[in-house]
Amino acid sequence: MSPLDRLDARVKSCVVKRGFSELSEAQVQALPYILDGHNLVLIAPTGTGKTESAMLPVFNELVSSPSEKGIRALYITPLRSLNRDILSRMKWWCHELSLSIGVRHGDTTISERRKQALSPPDLLITTPETLQALFMGKRLRKHLATVRYVIVDEIHELAGSKRGAQLAVALERLHLYAGDFQRIGLSATIGNPDEIGRFLCGARPFTIVQVPIAKDLDISVKFGGEAFKQQVKALSSMLGRKGSTLVFVNTRVTAEALGHELYERGDVEVHHGSLSKEVRIDAEERFKRGEINTLICTSSMELGIDIGRVDHVIQFGSPREVARLVQRVGRAGHQLHSTSRGTILTTGFSDLLESLVIAKRARANDIEKVVVHKNAADVLANQISAMAVEYGEIECDMVREIVERSYVFSNCADLLDTVCRQMQEHRLIRLDGTRIITTARARTYLSANLSMIHDERKVPVFDMVSRRTVGTLDESFVVGWVHTGAVFVTKGQLWRVIEIADGKLTVEPARKVQGEIPSWEGEQIPVPFTIAHEVGSIRRDRNVKDYSNDSVGIQYVEKFLDEMDKNRSIIPTDLVITLENSDEGVICNVCGGHKANEALGRVISILLSAKFGTTVGIELDAYRILLRLPSHIRASDVCDVIIGLDPAHMPGILRLALKRTALFKWKLVQIAKKFGAIDPDADYEKISVQRLLEFFDGTVVQLEAYRELLTDYMDIETAAALIRLVNQGKLTITTGRLSLIGAEGLLTSRDEIPPPTADQAVIGAVRRRLESEDVLLGCMNCRKWMSRTVVSRVPEIPQCPKCGARLIAALKPWEEQLYTIANKKKKLDEERATELRLLKNANIVLSSGKKAIIALAARGVGPENASRILATLTDGNAFYREILKAERKYIQTHRFWQ
Amino acid sequence: MNLQFISDGPALLVQNRQNVLVIADLHFGIETDLAVHGWHFASRSNERLKRLIDSIKTNSPDLLILLGDVKHNIPETTRQEYRELPDVFEAIRDLVPFKLLPGNHDVGIGRFLQEGELLPKKGAIVDGVGYLHGHTIPSSELLGHLIVAGHHHPMVSLHDEVGCALRAPAYLLAELIENEPRIEKQNGVWKTTRVLFMPAFNEYAGFDILQITKYPFSPLSRSILTEGAEVFLTNGTYIGPASSLEDNVTT
Repeated sequence: MSPLDRLDARVKSCVVKRGFSELSEAQVQALPYILDGHNLVLIAPTGTGKTESAMLPVFNELVSSPSEKGIRALYITPLRSLNRDILSRMKWWCHELSLSIGVRHGDTTISERRKQALSPPDLLITTPETLQALFMGKRLRKHLATVRYVIVDEIHELAGSKRGAQLAVALERLHLYAGDFQRIGLSATIGNPDEIGRFLCGARPFTIVQVPIAKDLDISVKFGGEAFKQQVKALSSMLGRKGSTLVFVNTRVTAEALGHELYERGDVEVHHGSLSKEVRIDAEERFKRGEINTLICTSSMELGIDIGRVDHVIQFGSPREVARLVQRVGRAGHQLHSTSRGTILTTGFSDLLESLVIAKRARANDIEKVVVHKNAADVLANQISAMAVEYGEIECDMVREIVERSYVFSNCADLLDTVCRQMQEHRLIRLDGTRIITTARARTYLSANLSMIHDERKVPVFDMVSRRTVGTLDESFVVGWVHTGAVFVTKGQLWRVIEIADGKLTVEPARKVQGEIPSWEGEQIPVPFTIAHEVGSIRRDRNVKDYSNDSVGIQYVEKFLDEMDKNRSIIPTDLVITLENSDEGVICNVCGGHKANEALGRVISILLSAKFGTTVGIELDAYRILLRLPSHIRASDVCDVIIGLDPAHMPGILRLALKRTALFKWKLVQIAKKFGAIDPDADYEKISVQRLLEFFDGTVVQLEAYRELLTDYMDIETAAALIRLVNQGKLTITTGRLSLIGAEGLLTSRDEIPPPTADQAVIGAVRRRLESEDVLLGCMNCRKWMSRTVVSRVPEIPQCPKCGARLIAALKPWEEQLYTIANKKKKLDEERATELRLLKNANIVLSSGKKAIIALAARGVGPENASRILATLTDGNAFYREILKAERKYIQTHRFWQ
Repeated sequence: MNLQFISDGPALLVQNRQNVLVIADLHFGIETDLAVHGWHFASRSNERLKRLIDSIKTNSPDLLILLGDVKHNIPETTRQEYRELPDVFEAIRDLVPFKLLPGNHDVGIGRFLQEGELLPKKGAIVDGVGYLHGHTIPSSELLGHLIVAGHHHPMVSLHDEVGCALRAPAYLLAELIENEPRIEKQNGVWKTTRVLFMPAFNEYAGFDILQITKYPFSPLSRSILTEGAEVFLTNGTYIGPASSLEDNVTT
């Protein structure tokens, strides 16, 4: 029996009327389960009629059961644009079946909302955030009691984010009103369908239907050249063919750059998130109508928005993840049974190898897992306050019961207590024994925090000198890093912050500052370890032919590696780490992927920073870590640090390293906002945000920041595993000169690790001050030579150029007279004392050389103090610490203050 | 005269004939104002008061000088302040006599004080040293003395070769510009005068020293010679001239 025969006659006739001659594989497989009332996760490529697979049986039930007032089915998607798309597809069906349909999200008008509150549609299409809002209205909450079906579209996209965790709790809150309802998740191909099922259903039973994708994929990898112009030419020639093409790029900047180059063709449009809604919709429509046949887009086009027929997908640059490639290529051949054709146009050595590995894995259906956020404290805080507002007051145990039904908080009693106490600290809720009570602030908070997405404010940057706005910065960057006196880069120029007030940043142009200044480049798609590791193995085995039959690409790779050999560079592979000296610092070539490299880079840099007392800048990608270091720290120093690492200590070191970084502060602010500590529109005027953030030390807010960073941004387990291999000798480390591989590539993620103790920064500052101090050198032997210089220019053992003696007195710049006095033929008693002082001074210089001169240059340090300092026989930092001590003593006394 | 720099505070112990402990800018009640600006934190007044009490006990001074801005909110006094301030002053009185130089945030502070505790807003000499909150020009009698002032909340950023390495509260020592017309002379005679700007005791406050020297925001900071101004950490460490903080170019 065809599953169609199980449908109600009305629905069946619609299927025929719609022109579906046969059902897709996904539909055939999924329909019976849904009709039988199973919770279901349907995993199938885009364009296989997933929406209909879910909705046909749901329509079937809706038309055959008696209608009641209230929402009967909820269709949740992650995007408004997807909502609109689903609405236009479902309208026809609902009209034919006399069912009402509505959409509700951020763009829905007030009158539309009111209409929904009075007469709710049978089917409501919405986003996770608007679902949150539904719980806030008394009347709407009542309408939720009738919900029998919840469909979560693009569930793979939600499951890996805090939005998803929030949704999982919302479904359990819904359960309280609606009782058991049927849950249907629609997902693109993923590595862990079971976990997605648990994410959707909690502990309830569910069924997985998986429609394989690999057999329908036709992916090729081409090399587009190293230069952008070449790449554009290669792309342009691929667009010439018949049919429509989607070009996926990884960043908005690339989209704009390609659009700029290709615009003259007249058949190309650009589509990305920074463009206005009108512009985007216009581009979609024109593509659909065939007026243009190429659309250059970012992940904005990844999800299932219907843009008509796509014949070919081009991925410009490595897709970085298998899942992403599969999903993007899945956009091609948007018809049942047709093959999805895609080409990756690669842009360099690492990019090419990476793309080859990803393509191979895609063909083998070897796709990454989605990492579900479990026990995210900020989501919990958000949902506690939502429930406090919803119920006015609620028993703590009740809240616990609700959230623990979800997979994401399945065992969270302790966390719940801690989170509640922290929320009370910020006056978001009140705790009365075992009850959680809402506060005046909670409702305002909730309206502003329905979403777990961080809506970033842009802070204008105003140049005080030219009196104009020179650009904008992300709020997170301003909060986490910028303070008065800070220097940063934007628009390729250096600026110093004068003031943060009235929602803007007032700056002045800064001159050259040594070293690297952090500049925020936003988040990017990380390359997983498994892929970077396999790229390393290709470098080692040189078996690119096993991955590709594109002769241009193969030749390029072979030539690149030959060139490495010719330069006698050691090739970093999955079994070899190379550390290379460059002008900018030391490059560590590690095939670790973004997250492991991020963790490793930060651990190494804080250790270097502690050892050498300097700030260390880091930039990294999946294959290399650039450590920006002062020029005297070399690859061999970095090597020592890596070899001395104990993998067991790495997680602790990383936490320490993270604490003072811009990234960490940025996360901390985001999470603090969800705890109600910081309003979305808080201003950063007149208070030291940096110091305020210290109050989160040891709190659950800080723990959550660590938890999120260590899942989403870095992978300390893998990093530690790599070091373990180094310890066991299975992963070799060598040092050398800068190689082609080391020099290649865009380094994107930037941050700086300050030295761990204030002490070192202070000593650095004092050392620099003393070195730039003026000093007078006078020969106390021939008494005929006196010279003015700067401490840093004094040789280790100063000598008189006239008589060659080493008996040199070092005087403060204003003491020139003393030399004249000391050399007088006839002296008064007082003048004789001066001469003795100078002789004593010169004797100290004679025995201790430049060290004595440094000590004598210090504030209030004469021969007596200097010999006391030198008698400690200290060196380096300890020596300067002795000088500081002497200066402090002098500064406290009478002589200084009068 | 000796000056002890007490980093645990920050506070200053001025030792002359008497031991005078100086503390600036407590800003009790700041949390109410923070909440208005979108930062919601429980009151830290108790912790702050405890730090203050500890500092008094450790240094056992003969006199405590509060260098202004004991309270935070202007123009009116908030509920938080009415609730907390009487206890703050009572706790101090139990340990040591004190004097208060009123700051711009201390509007109406008199109602919490006893006779003789409030000094004039344009400054006063105590045991040979001039004290002043710092939002006004000093009175002429302070000329020729070391003046200790609050109000500016100085902080210093130290940079090394790669980037910012430390941000900490700091002192700024600068000379008043000779014959500065804003300041009234004593019988027409100018006397060389140095001002020591103290860091705030309140844990939230802070302005970068460069902001004070390069873009002065008060009559007092506009009256100082920025050339030769010197920077000290809260433990008395001499960092160097303020000008050396500006661009860390070591060529």
